[in-house]
Amino acid sequence: MAVLEISDLVVAWDPRSGEQLPVRRDDVLATLRAAGDARAARIVERMPVAGEFLDQRAVNRTLVRVHTELQRLNEELHMAQRFAELLRPMLAATGVRRPRVVDIGCGLGFVLRSLAASGLLGADVELVGVDGNRALVDEAARLAAAEGLPCRFVCGDAFALDEDATVYLSNGVLHHFPAASLAEFFQAQDRPGTHGFLHYDIAATPLAPFGAWLFHRARMREPLGRHDGVASARRAHGDDVLLSAARQAAGLDAFLFEPIRFANPFCAAMRPVLGLRPELTDGFRRALGRRARGLVA
Amino acid sequence: MTVAVSLVLLALVDAAFAGFRAATGRNARIRKRRYYARAAARGLALGAIGMAVTATVILVPLGDRFDDLVVAGVLMGQVLLPFAAVVVLSMVAYWLLPMRESTFVILVGLGPFTLVRPLVVVAAVVWAGLGTDDWLVRLDAVVAAAAVLAVEPLTHHRWYRAPIGSVG
Repeated sequence: MAVLEISDLVVAWDPRSGEQLPVRRDDVLATLRAAGDARAARIVERMPVAGEFLDQRAVNRTLVRVHTELQRLNEELHMAQRFAELLRPMLAATGVRRPRVVDIGCGLGFVLRSLAASGLLGADVELVGVDGNRALVDEAARLAAAEGLPCRFVCGDAFALDEDATVYLSNGVLHHFPAASLAEFFQAQDRPGTHGFLHYDIAATPLAPFGAWLFHRARMREPLGRHDGVASARRAHGDDVLLSAARQAAGLDAFLFEPIRFANPFCAAMRPVLGLRPELTDGFRRALGRRARGLVA
Repeated sequence: MTVAVSLVLLALVDAAFAGFRAATGRNARIRKRRYYARAAARGLALGAIGMAVTATVILVPLGDRFDDLVVAGVLMGQVLLPFAAVVVLSMVAYWLLPMRESTFVILVGLGPFTLVRPLVVVAAVVWAGLGTDDWLVRLDAVVAAAAVLAVEPLTHHRWYRAPIGSVG
């Protein structure tokens, strides 16, 4: 049976107009029950409704709370440093004077805001976050403004990107897409002017669902977040699936960095798939230094 | 006296960390040092109140049970102090180790330790209770444990029920 995340079902946005669409609660409940997930259905049953539809404002507030809690996990896993570790040599290899980094499915923009606050990428890098959920985009922009961080956030579709980028990145987004859609996701980033992509997601180890349960039970209070955290680990794509899909972006060389079979499963909570223009690969390896041993094509 | 001071200090340090935990996941800003320092101070304040309540409960009917209380305190320490030592070591390792090893410490140490902390406190009470026949001493141990375990939920409920400054 399909593993579903509640957060994927309780909101819908029109990708063209950016307007939030009403979601019928009974439809969500039927989908979850058909997937055999009674616990998720109980969580949705407790969500406020306006008539037969989920209360959009309440749902948005819940998702902001969940993403706020989720940020703590990203902080503990040093996700911004993990991105910087690979982004810096990637950007150096491109030789682009004012590179543009676009975070797809940025949520509250933790990675970009962290990179902006730390200055790890230098002052000349433009940082843009894209997400299909306007409530999260608005909150990300508010948070960036509150701290005076040089990054911005816009609404957008991960499969039809309006934002050009030197490097595209994402964090914990890939498992939201079915395996059959992954190739299209990567191909959408194989664009003129784009030098590479860097997408971190949950490593599909046998320990991942248990680790996710433990981590979310210890760190998160929102029932929706706890549910989706475990579901996301259960639906994480394997290394072979990711690498195969990334190779469909024909103009880019695809790699995994420190794939599961070479890493301590306890340390491999998140691992990236990345792509680079072939002419940049050698320069990237040199800039990466000793860590280049972790690149597997 | 050493036993009492050790346990109170342990409880106060734990309260500061409980205050920190109560505030986590409620502020999505990047720079949060002052936010966490204030949360820890709030936890510490509630922990101090809890210890004061515990001391009152213990001291008012003290009578001639001082030695029994010391024995109970030693027994609680036998459970709590090793746990605290491992947690402190894990935190030092998290701060000092490189990124990947630091993640390892979170996944196998600090995450699980947070989950089992209430069980460890309950185990300390049970262990202390087994070492005495005095129900008042057992009650004192329960009150002390309740004061320790109440800090995080109270801090969270009082100050951090909703995300700070957001629409949520």
